[in-house]
Amino acid sequence: MGHSDGDHGSDLSADDSPWSEGSWSDDDDEGSLSFEDSGEGSDAESDEPDAPAVEESDSSEDEVAPRNTIGDVPLEWYKNEEHIGYDITGSKIKKRDREGRIEAYLRNADDAKNWRKIYDEYNDEEVQITKEEAKIISRLLKGKTPHTNVDPYPDYVDWFEYDGKGHPLSSAPEPKRRFVPSRWEQKKVVKLVRAIRKGWIKFDKPKEEPNFYLLWGDETDTADNKRQGLSYIPAPKPNLPGHEESYNPSVEYIPTQEEIDSYQLMYEEDRPKFIPRKFDCLRSVPAYEKALREGFDRCLDLYLCPRTRKKRINIDPESLKPKLPSKKDLRPYPRTCYLEFKGHNGPVKSLSVEATGQWIASGSSDGTIRVWEVETGRCIKVWNVGGVVHRIAWNPSPDRHILAAVVDHDLLLLNAEVGDEDAQMKTKGLLQIEELAQEEDNGDKKPAVKWVKHEKFDGIMLIHHKAVSTVEWHFKGDYFTTVVPSGDSRAVLLHQLSKKHSHHPFRKLPGLPIAAVFHPSQKMFFVATKKFVQVYDLQKAQLVKKLESGVREISSISIHPGGDNVIVGSKDGKLCWFDTDLSTRPYKTLKNHSKDITNVTFHRKYPLFASSSEDCTAYVFHGMVYSDLNQNPLIVPLEILRGHSSSDGRGVLDCKFHPRQPWLFTAGADSVVRLYCD
Amino acid sequence: MPKHYRPAGKKKEGNAAKYITRTKAVKYLQISLATFRKLCILKGVFPRDPKKKVEGNHKTYYHMKDIAFLAHDPLIEKFREIKVHRKKVKKAFAKKNKDLADRLLNRPPTYKLDRLILERYPTFVDALRDLDDCLTMVHLFAALPAVEGERVQVQRIHNCRRLSHEWQAYISRTHSLRKTFISVKGIYYQAEVQGQKITWLTPHALQQVLTDDVDFNVMLTFLEFYETLLGFINFKLYHSINVNYPPVLDPRLEALASELYALCRYMSSGRVPGNSEPAGLIEDKEGEDNKESSKTDESELRLAQLQHQLPTNEPGALMHLVQESTAADADDADAKECRSLFKNLKFYLSREVPRESLLFIIPAFGGTVSWEGEGAPFDETDEDITHQIVDRPTQSHVFLSREYVQPQWIYDCVNARIILPTEGYIVGRVPPPHLSPFVDNDAEGYIPEYAETIKRLQAAAQSQVLPLPSLGDEDMENSLVEAIIDRSESNEIADKKRKLEMLEKQYHDELRMEYEGKTFSNRTADNQPDVVDKSDTKEADDHMEDSHKQAEKDAADISKTLMSRKQRGLLQAIEINQERKKDKVNLLKKRKKNADSSASAKGR
Repeated sequence: MGHSDGDHGSDLSADDSPWSEGSWSDDDDEGSLSFEDSGEGSDAESDEPDAPAVEESDSSEDEVAPRNTIGDVPLEWYKNEEHIGYDITGSKIKKRDREGRIEAYLRNADDAKNWRKIYDEYNDEEVQITKEEAKIISRLLKGKTPHTNVDPYPDYVDWFEYDGKGHPLSSAPEPKRRFVPSRWEQKKVVKLVRAIRKGWIKFDKPKEEPNFYLLWGDETDTADNKRQGLSYIPAPKPNLPGHEESYNPSVEYIPTQEEIDSYQLMYEEDRPKFIPRKFDCLRSVPAYEKALREGFDRCLDLYLCPRTRKKRINIDPESLKPKLPSKKDLRPYPRTCYLEFKGHNGPVKSLSVEATGQWIASGSSDGTIRVWEVETGRCIKVWNVGGVVHRIAWNPSPDRHILAAVVDHDLLLLNAEVGDEDAQMKTKGLLQIEELAQEEDNGDKKPAVKWVKHEKFDGIMLIHHKAVSTVEWHFKGDYFTTVVPSGDSRAVLLHQLSKKHSHHPFRKLPGLPIAAVFHPSQKMFFVATKKFVQVYDLQKAQLVKKLESGVREISSISIHPGGDNVIVGSKDGKLCWFDTDLSTRPYKTLKNHSKDITNVTFHRKYPLFASSSEDCTAYVFHGMVYSDLNQNPLIVPLEILRGHSSSDGRGVLDCKFHPRQPWLFTAGADSVVRLYCD
Repeated sequence: MPKHYRPAGKKKEGNAAKYITRTKAVKYLQISLATFRKLCILKGVFPRDPKKKVEGNHKTYYHMKDIAFLAHDPLIEKFREIKVHRKKVKKAFAKKNKDLADRLLNRPPTYKLDRLILERYPTFVDALRDLDDCLTMVHLFAALPAVEGERVQVQRIHNCRRLSHEWQAYISRTHSLRKTFISVKGIYYQAEVQGQKITWLTPHALQQVLTDDVDFNVMLTFLEFYETLLGFINFKLYHSINVNYPPVLDPRLEALASELYALCRYMSSGRVPGNSEPAGLIEDKEGEDNKESSKTDESELRLAQLQHQLPTNEPGALMHLVQESTAADADDADAKECRSLFKNLKFYLSREVPRESLLFIIPAFGGTVSWEGEGAPFDETDEDITHQIVDRPTQSHVFLSREYVQPQWIYDCVNARIILPTEGYIVGRVPPPHLSPFVDNDAEGYIPEYAETIKRLQAAAQSQVLPLPSLGDEDMENSLVEAIIDRSESNEIADKKRKLEMLEKQYHDELRMEYEGKTFSNRTADNQPDVVDKSDTKEADDHMEDSHKQAEKDAADISKTLMSRKQRGLLQAIEINQERKKDKVNLLKKRKKNADSSASAKGR
């Protein structure tokens, strides 16, 4: 700074000497003015810048010409000169005297307006900025328009005036379509006009037509009134209310509190949907809260439930029962218990009636065989055979009083020792066995049956290879058959009493044999297995017929005296009647017992048959077989015979008819034999 | 799917071709499930029950012919149009095109159900046969609250009220009502129209609550169909009695109804013509007879009503004659009895009784009725009133010339077809049990006590000679005489009861005297053999009973032996039913016994 001040001083002294006297005098005046200004102080300086500011604010800056007129000549060229340029008259403008730094600092400190002073280097003078100029500068610094009253975004004013110009701005010719009517508008209008004429578009409100008229006119035309489509099933009517739905029901229709509480224990769907209540007057009846719900449920039923026409049977129960002939017309048949034969100590397992009907024989589990007199009930003879008597059969010939008894494992032929002396002698003769025959049999292979003399009872013991279950006599009294269920090919055996000979003609059987019976009059043989009954011709030695029973297990079989009908008892309580000429299927199946049927039997003279069962009852049926081949047998249940008591779960174990009288003998598990009479 | 041509071995045959599941039916018809439901309801299509369910037991099967029936119906196309129209309106609103939206809303596609009704019910009798559900639904909706903003439109509720009142007016006019029953659920009515028994249920006149567990769309579809059906049936019925339909209401009474409706208490405006016409007729008759004695005001009122109802005298007279002739033609014994049950009786209804129901029932049986309020034919102070129906504990002001009975008396008289004695129904007393007329007591096996009483009263009434028709004064005297006779009869019955009680007491006394005499005269040694004999006879009786029972069982078993398995099962089912019915009757008798014993205990 000091160096620069020195330079300025030297410039001033150099400039004074070359100038003329006239121009020098003007310079002195100006220098004195500037000096005076600086000498006067702040007041003089503040007054001087105000005038240029006022001028600038009133008009444009261009109008205020700068004092220096050197133009764009850089000021560095006047660095070594004492003047900075020339004014408008051509006079030199002298440089001002520079104040020292200390003086400048003191002046600035004292001057309050120092912040608004700017040194103008071009004109070599200090300029003071006014308030407006300060605002303008601050706005410029902020990037705004300098003057506040200038709107940078004014509304657009179309300064161009088009009215009265006479010609378009564009020189292109106008297209023809601006001078002719629109074709598409015409099409649209035509479309609307057509729609209006045809009534598709209406402008007035539609009239209120009467909704109801005589829909069903004259109903004389029946053909037109037919309903189309499938057969119409009308919805079932809802149930009409009973007495319990009344608002004031009788006291007996209102459930007690205990019953209402018991409803809570039921399942949800088992509870009654409506619980009756009683209101004392009509005024106190509330609105039914389920009205809408029930209406909705009815709607669901009407359109969601499948419907079916169902025959509602309103049958009188009596009409279900078949019409039976009167029992009085079907007499005689056994109805009441007339006599009891007591003496056995165990269940009586089998019965047999002598051909003349005078004596009956009974076998029991206590190991005894007893012969009773029918008229008096007296026990004539007792044999202690030492084993369970499974089956007993009396010889059907009147002059042969021989009993065949299945004892434990084998068959025993006994002399009953009843009748007159001649019959007894003949019977005794039949039961004699020759030693030679026995020896001959032993010589061959091992036989199925061994005829051995029984020393104790003076009879014959037929020792079988396996256990025997049943024995049946031929109607003439010479042949008899035994069944060995586990005997395989030697299950059914035929024996001849007069010759003491046995053979087994049936090799193959369709199951375990249960019973075997001879035909009452012809050379036929019936073998009953578990499910079938096979009929064999003994003369031709071939199978004739096979009857299918349809029951679970056959337990007994009996042949009608005429020979054409067979009854079969089963272990599921059913009784099947077969007409062998009619079919191989049962003609009629009766389910009359609740437990196993132990025996079925036909009467030899009367049209009766009976069945005994483990349920302590015996049924008696009327079974008439007509000689007319076109008429089927008549079967009528007659009576249920009761009286036996149960023992170890077993009831009636056997039943047999009297050969001449309409009487029935039953053997019970309660150790009693009963006689039922008319 | 429908049956197409396929080679042999690959055809759909049997149930697979005949029946179709619901899902496949909806796909086949190309409509939504809601529209399918609506179509089924309107067309009366219901699922079928095929014997063999091809696609499983859990599905719903429709017959293919039923679905084809739906497919060929013009209504399905109309429903599609409605859906398209709704979409157009929605789109117009979305595009802010208000003009188009307004134009579309002013022209909604509509459909009519006339053809559907004729399809479903080719004859009028078929329509009457299916009218039970229709009437119950219409009356249920008529009882709903008519409130804006609910799921049911107010206009539809008013329409239901109008239709139900029109139907009731016809029944009342032709005296076709046969049975009534006040239930907890509402009031059941049974009418006989052209030989068909029609039963419907009207909810009690109380505020029904709209619940959330029902689908109102389904119910409204049913209601739409039923409204149309009932309208056509009403037209046919009104046509048969030569009355214009829809009926033109009385402007004055209609204005009154409007006022009441404005007060949020909608009056049965549709009911008033049906009521006023018979009242007018009866008043006409009475006016002719009692012109000299009647008051000027009443005569003026009647003349005004008559002039309004009958513009000229001659057409009215002719119409009256025509009505009489048609009524005479259609009458039978029951109708005559119903027509004249409440004849010559004049009723007045208090405020608290169910007015609409009684306004329906009393004219249907030939009675005259009035109520409290504007538009009523006569006031409470009328001296000719014979009965006033009251349902409150006490009555403040009592007219001596009339009887005050509870509403149940009307219903019980209607069901019994006789004028029952009013002692049990007096105000403040608990009325006798209200029994259902729909129950056949003999078939059910149990007859309630009050049913026996009514039966005896009916027998007494039938033996009684009916009085000859005569003038009003004599009718009044006869009714008074009948009342006196009823009272005297009841007195006689009471006397007979007293005599019977005395006789019973005497009999018991004689028995006691005999017993004491026997005990006193016999020795102690003779008593023991008697005791032994008694025990022996008792045992013998037990044994005989057992044997008898066993014999019966044996007979049953014997007859069962020859039955087939199916017959045996059927017999067992029948026996189970009879056993169940017997158990029910035994339960009722047990409750009756307990109630009687508790009542007697309270009596002590």
